Amino acid sequence: MRVILKTRPRAKPRIPIEAETIIPQNFLRKNDIRVYEGNKERKLEDLFFITVEGPAVSPDQVEVILTGDTGVIKRVGEYMNAGRIIVEGDIGMHCGNFMSAGEIIIRGNADSWLAREMRGGFIRCEGDAGHYCAAGYRGEKRGMRGGTVEVLGNAGDFAAEYLSGGEVHIHGSCGDLPGVEMRGGTLTIGGDCLRPCGNMTGGICRIFGTAHQFLPTFRKNGTEDVQYGGKHYRMAAFRGDIANRGKGRVLIRA
Amino acid sequence: MTGLWVKNAYVIDPISGIMGEIMDIAIRDGKIVEEVNDGAPVIDAGGCLTLPGGIDSHSHVCGTKVNFGRYMSPEDMRAGRTARKGVMHVTSGYSVPTTFGNSYRYSSMGYTTVLEGAMAPLEARHTHEEFTATPHQDMLANTLFDGNWSIMEAVRDKDVKRAAAVVAWTLAAVKGFAIKLTNPGGTEAWGWGEDVHSIHDEVPHFGVTPAEIIATMIQANELLNLPHSVHIHCNNLGVPGNYQTTLDTIGLAPDLNRERQSLYLTHVQFHSYGGSTWQDICSKSEEIARAVNARPQVAIDMGQIMFGRTTTMTADGPMEWKLYMLHRNKWSNHDVELETGSGIIPVYYGRKSLVNCVMWAIGLELALLTKNPWQCMLATDNPNGAPFVKYPEIIALLMSSRFRENERNVIDPRTEHFVPLFAIDRELDWYDIAVMTRAAQAKALGITRIGKGYLAPGAEADIAIYPLKPDELDPAVDYQQVMAGFAKTAYTIKRGRVVARDGEVVVEGANSTIWSRADVPPEYDLNQDAEFVKKFEQYYTVRMRNYPVQDVYLPRGLSIRTEASL
Repeated sequence: MRVILKTRPRAKPRIPIEAETIIPQNFLRKNDIRVYEGNKERKLEDLFFITVEGPAVSPDQVEVILTGDTGVIKRVGEYMNAGRIIVEGDIGMHCGNFMSAGEIIIRGNADSWLAREMRGGFIRCEGDAGHYCAAGYRGEKRGMRGGTVEVLGNAGDFAAEYLSGGEVHIHGSCGDLPGVEMRGGTLTIGGDCLRPCGNMTGGICRIFGTAHQFLPTFRKNGTEDVQYGGKHYRMAAFRGDIANRGKGRVLIRA
Repeated sequence: MTGLWVKNAYVIDPISGIMGEIMDIAIRDGKIVEEVNDGAPVIDAGGCLTLPGGIDSHSHVCGTKVNFGRYMSPEDMRAGRTARKGVMHVTSGYSVPTTFGNSYRYSSMGYTTVLEGAMAPLEARHTHEEFTATPHQDMLANTLFDGNWSIMEAVRDKDVKRAAAVVAWTLAAVKGFAIKLTNPGGTEAWGWGEDVHSIHDEVPHFGVTPAEIIATMIQANELLNLPHSVHIHCNNLGVPGNYQTTLDTIGLAPDLNRERQSLYLTHVQFHSYGGSTWQDICSKSEEIARAVNARPQVAIDMGQIMFGRTTTMTADGPMEWKLYMLHRNKWSNHDVELETGSGIIPVYYGRKSLVNCVMWAIGLELALLTKNPWQCMLATDNPNGAPFVKYPEIIALLMSSRFRENERNVIDPRTEHFVPLFAIDRELDWYDIAVMTRAAQAKALGITRIGKGYLAPGAEADIAIYPLKPDELDPAVDYQQVMAGFAKTAYTIKRGRVVARDGEVVVEGANSTIWSRADVPPEYDLNQDAEFVKKFEQYYTVRMRNYPVQDVYLPRGLSIRTEASL
């Protein structure tokens, strides 16, 4: 089944839409889906032109396509556990919160908190991601726990903060403090970053650009050869963060 | 304002000596009066239990540390969400809800007055702002003096009058209600990485002991004739074997006031542990209760813990650090310059943990073994022991030994070897509960003088009508009904206005903030004291003129004025 949601023109297009109900399993049964526009509850059809094509018997067969002015829609795919969401443009904050399975493809940019505390599944963002990509919420001690996040562009600050499982792959550069408080999982940064992996206790971080202002609390531990993007790289290996008796590994292109 | 009749009410009003009579209550202009005209609207209580509005004498609901608890616990914020409904705002949070969440939940339980247990003077503005956003309860703030440098200097110089002057100036400046001592001396020592382990340990750099601080403050409090006594959180909270410290502290309390206690010990459950390690922790509630029974000059509150998730928060920084060493989860510690500190940690009390089961039992034992209900108040040190929404369950546990027996089957089976709870067959009655949840608090806080805690003509019309018929109900058997009844009032009336019905708030609130102002002779006015002003400007990071909380922060402030005997 394919559900196409095209945004309707709105009088105040900058008011965010809170749409944690836009997940494939909700479209399987034709129940009344409601979202919030600002602090007003709305029916889904009040904000979107809805087109449904074909049948489905399980949520795995549901594909939701979001088009139009989608950059203000928040929390799409929260607690999603099957199926697929394709966003033809940008997407708002908190896309894929707590997602446990399924797939989200974003053709444009994603705002902050993409894949926050994700447990499984796959997210690909073809543009840039905002701050706190694949991180834990403020005050949370565990961030993303499983699944895969791929960002083809750059990511903002605090990417993969509190990462404790799964794989995060950012092809471009990261902002400040990527992988801070990491305790598991794998973080791969194709470009540059600033002050990576502070207070890391576990997991692996690979950086193929330049790590600016790398913290002094990592101990150099030989070199390692790695394949990345069809090329061969010699990486300097570090262990740390020793300030926190951490056992994480950081590999930086030598 | 028009009048209101509450008719056919089963009233228990311990302060006025009414022990369960069917009667009518007349209300006019927010006060209880002899009668109003017959045209006034009538609420038919239908023989239901009608009590003065509930008073919580120790709860943490407003202020910087509560707010820090909110933002360090996103998982707690996700629990307990309610949508906007009528006049009710959106709320969220379970152990540290939003201010409106606190206010609505207290109101639906019939509580109309709440005392915030610890306000750091330097951060008073924020506390008062949150008071304004807790609209359905009159609020009071205990003000922290445990590590106050001026106080400790006065104690070192054995100058009680100077200490009294500092208290009077600070309470007036920050619009506080009473003196709170949290781990006296210990929080200051913690600033140097140390702690005090008995009331006779010296505080570093000041050469004073907690015992001297406590004794001086009790005298200073009485010199100022403040409505409440010194409110103390003893040293060594949560340390196995700490009951000795608590007994020593109780022993320090002189009998100085005929109207009320001279020392209020809060969350005594956390201070009644025997043994020497977490492995052999046991209950010493019998010793503590015996000491309390022998000394009418002290009052305590239970500090009951209930099983489940909650957040601990206290001005006792070193204790929270010890808790962190046990849990190794997220935590926070905070220093308030020249005054006090604080710490916050989310915790989970489990039925499978022997230590938690022993703690659970101790709180109940304290309430059951204290002979005089006026001396032991019901509180959980919200949210440290449990969120206050658990009060109805505690009431049911105290009223029904059958309920306690049922709980015995689901907690750690070794518990009974460490606690006397299951040998106690006392069951509290409606009168005891009325005392422990409002009358004793009103008396202990000294707010009967402004009409709180009773229902005689002249009192504030704060009334809670619970859907419980004491004539038809045996609380020992029907404890589930008791629990449900105390959780949701049929009507909560605040200052003559129905604010909540069947658990839902129906009007916008307008609370007042109650604070104490002791008038001191000019020679004890610290604004004119050159030495105090000089030290203030030298050591504080704020200017003395910017320190006092302006009146704009208390839109409906109500001060209790007293004349100091200095």
